[in-house]
Amino acid sequence: MSAWSAVYGIVARDLTRTTRQTSRLLGGVARPFMWLLLVGTGYNAIARLEGGLPYQAYVFPGVVAMAALFGGMLTAVSTVYDREFGMLRLMLASPAGPGAVLLGRVLAASLVGILQGGIVLAVAPLVVSVTGERWLLALGALAAVAAMSATLGLLVAARLRSVENFAGIINVILFPLLFLSGALYPTAGMPPALRAVARLNPVTYAVDLLRHAFGQAGEFALATDVVVVLGVMLVGFAAGTLLFDPEQRFTARIPRRPPDSAPASP
Amino acid sequence: MTEPPAIACEGLGRDYGSVRALDALDLVVPRGTLVGVLGPNGAGKTTAMLLLATLLAPDRGAARVFGHDVTSERAAVRRRLGLLFQETSVDGLLSVRENLLFAARLSGMGGRLARAAVADAIERGGLGAHSGRPARELSGGWRRLVDIARATLHRPDLLILDEPTVGLDPEHREMIWSILDRERREHGTTILFSTHYLAEAEPADRVVLLAAGRVVAQDAPDRLRARLGEEMAEIEGPGAERLTRALRGLGAARTILRTGRGYRVGLVGPREPVVELAGGAPEVARFALRPVSLEDVYFASTRSGDEAAEAVPA
Repeated sequence: MSAWSAVYGIVARDLTRTTRQTSRLLGGVARPFMWLLLVGTGYNAIARLEGGLPYQAYVFPGVVAMAALFGGMLTAVSTVYDREFGMLRLMLASPAGPGAVLLGRVLAASLVGILQGGIVLAVAPLVVSVTGERWLLALGALAAVAAMSATLGLLVAARLRSVENFAGIINVILFPLLFLSGALYPTAGMPPALRAVARLNPVTYAVDLLRHAFGQAGEFALATDVVVVLGVMLVGFAAGTLLFDPEQRFTARIPRRPPDSAPASP
Repeated sequence: MTEPPAIACEGLGRDYGSVRALDALDLVVPRGTLVGVLGPNGAGKTTAMLLLATLLAPDRGAARVFGHDVTSERAAVRRRLGLLFQETSVDGLLSVRENLLFAARLSGMGGRLARAAVADAIERGGLGAHSGRPARELSGGWRRLVDIARATLHRPDLLILDEPTVGLDPEHREMIWSILDRERREHGTTILFSTHYLAEAEPADRVVLLAAGRVVAQDAPDRLRARLGEEMAEIEGPGAERLTRALRGLGAARTILRTGRGYRVGLVGPREPVVELAGGAPEVARFALRPVSLEDVYFASTRSGDEAAEAVPA
């Protein structure tokens, strides 16, 4: 009961914060639509994909994944903000403990990812042929992708102490994850080395999962996609719990700093 | 069976790499007491508080809060704690009420219970006029009051407050101490706080002085002051050293502290010979007698190296 109240409190706070940062929210929604409309329209004229699939229809699952990936991962900035301004320390010192704090954070970031991806998903009938059943499957896949993205975002945020650092690092991580995932173009055409990297990229399986949901040909079996996406989420969550442990029992080898030496607060 | 004390530490210590932030803290804080932790920056005050708040694991020693071990019974310890750190932990994007509701939920309260606790905290903190305002619109003093309301919202048995009034004007400092006094009076809350405003530690039941990660003195403020002397003489000017030596020769100086402007001499015995000696001393720009303060205790206890040699009782 106590832990669930804390989880609910964290989710409610994060969603309230998100809805009050309208420019960030609108930017998150605009990004996939810009790709779909501006880049997609141009590529429709020149791209030739197997099976005669128009580029916009091909890229649609990838754009949904992009919305969830950016929404889920960028929301982790709240965690860095809270660490910088001392709020995270209070949360970790609550009776609920680090597990509840992380769960609340992952749920909130997932909901943001689902919201941003869901807005893209709402226009699916304008771009791809989709039945109600497919749409629901895509929504389920979107939820899994958003949750995985939220967990990855928290892992990035786990040891960062300033919002500026997060902003600098997250783009270096996000863009390779996106460009080497098959979201925007097939990985089959990539050089072997990059294709091998793409196979190690969890977002590749997330995009593939969404392709299956929309009835498009996937690169991997559906079961493989589900196992990888959920597995990365669970392993990421477990790793996050260790990294966020306020006592640093499991991360004692990471150099420790005196509390007064942090930029603003630890 | 006697109830365990609010805090019991034995040899509690923590390092950051090769830096010994807290060497070995021995401390027993009875329930319901007010304990001030003083010391220069980097003395180990914040580290001690983080250890007691279960946010750091000790490298040495042990600590129990209301009988619960801070390492193996963290959840039980956290249920009894209210925390406040140096930086204000208020979310500027949320209103005061929303900030407090978040804190209530974080401490495990739900629904009606959380809303009732928030309403009570707003009333106790005098925050009614500001409850709907975004916290970013509040002044630093009011934000700190929101912080205090947050820390006391769930009526904790132990408040750990790291510099609760840092950077505040006297009016807001007074408001904060009046809220804390009421918590002690009405609920018997134990309060452990650190401060650089030494006057704030005067009403404490016990003062703990830390320097370079060690406890250098701890006692009731009256007893700490009495160790230095019955009265303090402040002596400035080119002749200050000569007069200080003369006071020592007279047997009136219990403690001699060298300061940037001269000497502070803790005096014992009759006052008249001291005044007479000072009245005839050449090149003394200023000679003043006043009660011994915690600031004198602070200087006497926390100085190091050459200064320490001059700070020990004469």
